[in-house]
This record gives sequence, C-alpha cells and structure tokens, in this order.
Amino acid sequence: MIWAGVLLLLGTFTLPVLPYLWASASNDIASLDTVQNNPRANFWRNVRTGTAGYSAVGGPEANVLINNDGQNWRQFRMRLLAPYGSYLMGAVLFTIAIFYALRGPVQHLSNEPKELLLRFSVYQRVVHWFTAILFWILALTGLILLYGRFVLIPLFGSSGFALTASASKEAHNLFGPIFIVALFLLVIEYARDNFYRKGDLSWLIKGGGMLGKHASAGRFNFGEKIWFWLVLLLGTIISFSGIILDFANLNFDRNTLELAHVLHGIAAILFISVSFGHIYLGTIGTKGTLRGMTTGYVEQAWAELHHDKWRPDDGATPEASRVPGAPNE
Amino acid sequence: MSDFILGPFWNFAVIVFTAGVVGRIAMILMCGLSKDLAAARGSSVKGAAGTIARRFFPRKETIRSNRFHIIAGYMFHIGLLALLFFAAPHVQFLKNHLLGFGWPAMPHWAFILSAEIAFAGLILLWLRRVMHPVTRLLTRLDDHLAAWLTFFAMVTGCLALFESFAGLRVLHVLGVELLMIYFPFSNLMHAFTFFLSRGASGARAGRHGVKA
Amino acid sequence: MFSTSTSDPEPDFEKGAVALKQQIDWRIASYFSSCVHCGLCAEACQFYVETGDPRYTPIYKLEPLKKVWRQEYTFFGKMAKALGITKPLSEEDFIDWEDLVYDSCTLCGRCSMVCPVGNDISYMIRKEREGFCAAGYAPDGLKEATKRAVDTGSPMGVTWKALSAQIKHIEKETGLPVPVDIKGAEYLGLLSSLEIMGFPEYISSLTRILHQAGVSWTLSSETFEATNSGIQIGDSRVAAELVERVLKVATDLEVSNIISPECGHAYTAIRWESANLIGKPIPFRVVHIVELLDELQRNGRISTTGKTDVKVTFHDPCNLVRKGGVVEEPRRLLNSVASNFVEMKQHGVMNWCCGGGGGVSANDRASDLRLAAFNIKKRQLDELGVKTLVTACANCRNILEEGIEHNEMDVEVVGLTELVAEYLDPPEAEESGGAP
Repeated sequence: MIWAGVLLLLGTFTLPVLPYLWASASNDIASLDTVQNNPRANFWRNVRTGTAGYSAVGGPEANVLINNDGQNWRQFRMRLLAPYGSYLMGAVLFTIAIFYALRGPVQHLSNEPKELLLRFSVYQRVVHWFTAILFWILALTGLILLYGRFVLIPLFGSSGFALTASASKEAHNLFGPIFIVALFLLVIEYARDNFYRKGDLSWLIKGGGMLGKHASAGRFNFGEKIWFWLVLLLGTIISFSGIILDFANLNFDRNTLELAHVLHGIAAILFISVSFGHIYLGTIGTKGTLRGMTTGYVEQAWAELHHDKWRPDDGATPEASRVPGAPNE
Repeated sequence: MSDFILGPFWNFAVIVFTAGVVGRIAMILMCGLSKDLAAARGSSVKGAAGTIARRFFPRKETIRSNRFHIIAGYMFHIGLLALLFFAAPHVQFLKNHLLGFGWPAMPHWAFILSAEIAFAGLILLWLRRVMHPVTRLLTRLDDHLAAWLTFFAMVTGCLALFESFAGLRVLHVLGVELLMIYFPFSNLMHAFTFFLSRGASGARAGRHGVKA
Repeated sequence: MFSTSTSDPEPDFEKGAVALKQQIDWRIASYFSSCVHCGLCAEACQFYVETGDPRYTPIYKLEPLKKVWRQEYTFFGKMAKALGITKPLSEEDFIDWEDLVYDSCTLCGRCSMVCPVGNDISYMIRKEREGFCAAGYAPDGLKEATKRAVDTGSPMGVTWKALSAQIKHIEKETGLPVPVDIKGAEYLGLLSSLEIMGFPEYISSLTRILHQAGVSWTLSSETFEATNSGIQIGDSRVAAELVERVLKVATDLEVSNIISPECGHAYTAIRWESANLIGKPIPFRVVHIVELLDELQRNGRISTTGKTDVKVTFHDPCNLVRKGGVVEEPRRLLNSVASNFVEMKQHGVMNWCCGGGGGVSANDRASDLRLAAFNIKKRQLDELGVKTLVTACANCRNILEEGIEHNEMDVEVVGLTELVAEYLDPPEAEESGGAP
C-alpha cells in the first residue's frame, strides 16, 4: 500500500515535467529562425506563433495557418523519442544479456518426486496471457509505426512499408481498447497480493537473492510488486493517452493530441524496456517459473527458494487432492 | 498473385465451401437413424424446435460454474456475426455478388465495437482452451487451426479497414478463402450442424416428454 | 439356444470395433460434427466436479467412438488413417477407456442437458458401451449381473421361491391377497430384485394402494423382474431377451398395461427401449408406478388422510426426469402427503445423480469413485438440512443409503410409494402396515 502511494506520488510529480522536456526541445528548434532580416519575416513569425487567420474549413484550430507546435512535436518524435528510446531498449537488452552471461539462470534444487503447488488459477493465467498477447501486438505495431521508416523501408521498400504502416496503425487502434479491458481485469485479479508487506524492503536490500544471500518473499516478491504497480501506472498513462489518440476525431485540439502522443511514446518505451526484464526473469532467468504461468503449477522446491513465505490456498499437490474417492472435506 | 486470389482461387474456395458443407451434411444424414418405435409422450417436432431455441442460452443452473466461458463465448459469436452480416463492405458484397439485395449496415463505431468484442472473445476462448485442463485434454490441432484461421480472417479484415490499400484487401480475401476451404473439413461445421445436433436431441427428448 | 457376448471370456477386439461402427447413426454423426471441444459438459458431470480429473469430462469418455467416426466418416480422418498418420482404433483404446465408459458414467444424462450444440452425450455412451461389451471390455460386476439376469431372470439371482415367501409374508401382514398369474388382469406388476430383497415394503404398499384404488393387477411367477442389465452393460441382444420375457408374460396374461416398479433404468428399458429392442411397437401401455399413482390420485381413485409435517425433499431418479419426462407427477404425490416438501437447489431435469445409476452400482471396483460422486448429493442434503429423503427408484435408494451410511449422516431414505401408502385411508378395519 505504501509503495503504491509512493509510486503514485512519484507519478504525479513527474507527469507535469514531461511536457517541459518536450518544450525545451522545441525552443531550440524555434530559435533557429530569429536572425532573419526580411521585413515580411515578422509577419510570418507571428503566423508561426499561432496568430489566427481565416479559413473556410470548420473545426478546432482550422484558423491556425501554420502550426509551429506540430513541427516541434515532430522534432521530438524523430530526434528524441526514436533515438533515445532505441538506446534505452537496447541498453536493457544488453544488460540482461551480460547478466545472463555472468550469472546464468537461477536454479532451485529439484526434489524427486516433484511436489507441485498451484500458483496461478486458470483465470489468472488466462488474464495474464490475454494482457501479454495484446501487449505484444500493440508493442510490435507501435514499434513499426515509430521505427518502421528506419528499419522496414530499407528492407521492404517504401510501398511495402506504406501497407505495413497502414495495417499496423489499424491494428494498433483496434487492439488498444481491448488492452485497456485486459489491464483492468489483470489489476483487479492480481492487486490483492501486490500490496507492500513487511519484509519486502529486506528482499530488495538482498537484491532479490541475486547477490548470494537468500531473500524471503511471499506470493509475490518486491520486484514483482514493483512490476505490478509499474504496469498499472504506465498502463494507465498509455490507456488514457491512447484513447485520446485513437479517437482523435472527437475534436481534441492539437496540443492535447501532441501531449497525448508524447506521453504515450515515453510510457510505451519504458513499458517495453521493463517488460524485457519481466520476460527474462519469467523465462530463462529463473528455472521453473514459466510453468507456473503455463500449467499453473510450480515445484515445491521452486516455491521454497523464491517464495518461502507463500502458502498456496489448497496447499496440496494436484494429484493428492484429486485422487478419486478422497474425502472432499 | 492478387488476380489469382481475387479470381480463380476465390471461385475454388466458394466451390469447396459450398460443396463441402452440403456434402458433410449429406454424409451425416446418410448415416441413417432407426425409427423410434416406443409410444411417444410428447411431440418430437416441438421438442426439436424448443431445444434448438433454448440452447442459445445456458441453463441457469450452469451459469455460475461456466460464467467465464459463457461471457467469452457470447462475445465472440455475437461480435463475429455482427461483423459478418452488418459490416458495410460485407453488406455491399452480399448485395452485389450474391443476393442482389442489401440491408442497412452498421455505423463505423459499431463495427469497431463489434470487432473488439469479437477479438477479445476469441483470444479469451483460445487462452482458456490452452489453459484449462479439460480443454487441454480435448483440444486437437483442428481446434487451433480453426481458431487461428478465424483470427487471421478477422484481423486482415480489420487491417483492410477503409480499404485504403488494395493489397490489404486482397490479404483479407485470402484469409477468408483459406477459412472457407478449411471450413467443411473441420469442426467449424458446427455453425451448420448445431441445428442438426440440437434438433436430434430435442426431437428425442420431446418424444420422451423431456424439456431439454 | 441363446448365448451372449458377455459369457465369452476371451476379449474380441474385432467384434468390438464392428459393433462401435454399427452404432453411428446420423444423430451421433451430427453430434461429433458439432462438438467444438468447449468442455462445458465437464461441469455438468459429478464425477468431474467431485474429483477435478479432466478425464471424467463426458465427451472425453467418447473418444473411442469418436475415433471410429473420425476415421470412417470424415475426410481428414480417413486420409490420416490411410496414410498411417493416426493410429487406428486398437485394443488399447478399449483397455484405457473401460473405466471411463463404465465406472465414471451413470448414464444420468445431465451433460446432455447443457451442451450448447445440443449433443446427447449419455445417448452416445449408452451406444459406446455396445462396442465395449461386444469386445469383452466391461466390468466383471456388471458382466456377472448380466449373466445372472439371463440365467436366473434376476441380476441378483432372486428366484420365484424367494419372492413367493415374501408374498406370503406380505399377505399376512396386510391381510390382502397379492394377485399372481391372474389372466385378464388390467395391469402387470413388475419388481426389481432390490425391492424383493431389500425393500419389500414396496410390494406391500403397492398391494394396499392398488387394492384401495380397485385396480385389477397381477404379478407373474414366470417373469417378475423389471430391471435390465442388458441396457446397462450395453448388450442389445441381452436387453432384448430380457424385455421379451416381460412382453411374453404380459401377452400370456392378456394385460393391457405394464407397471414399471420404483426403478429408473427399468422404466427406460420397458417404456422407451423395449419396442426398439424387439423391432416393433409393443401392444402395451407402460407406466412408472409414480405415473400410475398420480393418475389414480387425480382420478380420485386413491385417497389419503393427513400429511407428514417432517421436512422432506425429493431425489429425482435420472431416468424419470431426463429420459422419461416424469417431473411433476412425483411432486404432486409428495405434496399430497407431505406439508413441508422442499426442493434441492438443482432438481428436476437438472438433479444430481445418486452416483450409482447406469450399472455403476453393480460395479464393485467403482465403489470409491461412486462415493466421491455422492459428495455432491451430500452437500445438497446438508444445505437443506433435511432428515428425510424421498425417492422413486430402488437403486437410487440403495446407493443413497450407502452414501449416507458412509458419511455417517442422519438421513432416512423413503420410497415415494411407501410414503403414499402410509397415509392411505385405512380400508375397513385393518392394521396399517408398510411403515419403513
């Protein structure tokens, strides 16, 4: 609970800062034009700062002749978001690769016969993968929209990319709202076990057991909890900004759309970067974790190593609880 | 390539689909059925009609334990039927190429909503299929192929929205053709045979005086 | 002159494969064509619900029959079989599925009520058993019961001698004659061995009620058994033979109606399967005793005085509600003699089976599983907090009593006919008997 509060506070403090970042980028660009001497320059400069003119076209901002903010937004997208986003995602992948090479997978001592514990119910697994599938559809189509011109045009040529980009945009817009539903279901289902509990901090201090010492954890460790709240935070930002962008025909003004896009892009890049870590730890990073999310069952030895304070609801091996004729109560 | 997909391959798909569906149903009926010689307690015709209608809805006793499945099932089927028969390009297509008459298509927002509901339902149902021990045991390759082909046909259709690129439209046609060719050989046939199976059970139950 | 496949000790795979193929009619072909493997039938089956074992999913119990259908009636199935991609039906299938087909299915038909595409799964399992039985893969308990039924006329080996001793006792107790071999009677009464040996109060109740109603009826000393192991094990020839015995005495005694006793599958056998088993309509009306009593009561031919105010509930025998549409009749009867009749949450066509139908009660190796399946019934009873459970099937009654005893519950099981007889207006000045 405390952690949730901290995160939310952090979020609220950082959110208003983001437009400044964008604005500082745009100031640089605007200042390029100031050394001109042409007498008509002042007129056009005024036009560029948004002086209203007349247009026969209706709709919000139709009378704005030159939208300088649009150019600034474009510069942000091409010069800041795209390159720095790729650096960040690349750095995360690189770090993971180095870590894997040095540390290797975390292994638990498997005992025979394998006692299995139910970690995730059918519904919990379905909701997880529902969100995951949609996340990746959106991440891939989103990345195509942002990086396609750098990566795909050289590969497939521009006419092929036009098709891909159009398709990606439609898919992105279509699956986005479903992702919001998935996110909602996910948060409702998983929130219960993700609030801060005593001992979480010491788990963090011990580096989640990665530093040699065993770190105690309940059903979810502090790292998983942080991921959960990040999913909620980033997911919320992406959802709201996404809805604005998806329904741009609902008469939002340009600045709103630009702000929505900036937030959407930053949150998405962060979301994808962190998800690499989640995927690594859930698959090759720790042995025996993935099966919890596929079959629902984990080995007892796995649970003792990673989640020693977790007690599953039914506490029994699936086989033992399901022997025909076993007493029901 | 696109000429082939829109021309000969389309005709081929239509023939396979039509002949296949008719053939499958004929093959089912040719299996025969011995006449029920026991004195009837009720009407088999009423029973058949009743069961065909009633099985569109789950029995109230079963709702609780199957609620996830029921909700996802309705989402997928209602969404898909809305897309199939009320998407503007589909109405146009049926009018121009098949029926000669049309009906009002749904507005764009309704199309998007239907698509999202159908996709959510399809993905959820497929995930339940691979996650639930019961469906894991029952599922065969056929079930996956049917789900994926349906997904492919649906997704290409949505990508071709506004028909801004001919290529995307051709891709959608291809998806539909593959689905149509696969249809008669798979349990996608349930879209037609549910009528037979419900009718058969309903007729028997009706004869026995059971409201099934 | 008459030999059954069940007396054949050697398993015969070929016979089973042929028999399975013969079962496929258009009904079954449409069922398999429609099945999308949604698994909704699992939650309708108490063996699945109580054990959580996915193998008990009703449609999964039909894999062998489905395999035959797929490989004989579908394009890809035929092709895959021809190319050797899929394994053809083999002895293994019979071995692996025998317990699913016999031990974990009571043919209760609850799954058939919930399938979204309308598949009648219990109909198919009944058919599938024909193949298993022909191949020789059926539980020993059921094989033995079937053999006894063919050899002695009763699956429990009850002889006329035993019944006539009971009849003498009942005649003494009720002071009424129990009509036997009366030619030209209106109704032929039948019994189940379980009633003769375990619940003879049914016979005395029947005698008293029909006496009061002035119904002309008779038992037959030649064939008195109504149950039919043939339809439980899935041997149509045995089933037909057993049914023919009943029809023969009905013809000989020139009756026009046959009364099925308080037994579920006997009702199904004589009421619904008999004509189909012998291949021609039967010239008799068949009624379950509950139907007859309801009819007599509505016609004012039986009258009762007083009602029990004990809280009672009714366990619907599956064969009555889901195979015979007898839902309202027992409730009208029960309400006429009980003032505090309460329904279980799931009742009527959606009742939960006792766990011992469809031959499971005769199958000793299934007893643990059967008791697990009973747990759902236990919960239903616990929820209501009733101490008296009324039913209209001797087999249900027997299984319910076993489950109640096993779980050390304080519930008494009563037959509906007995309960009605208990409140029957006293005839002349006779001592009332037949209390359970």
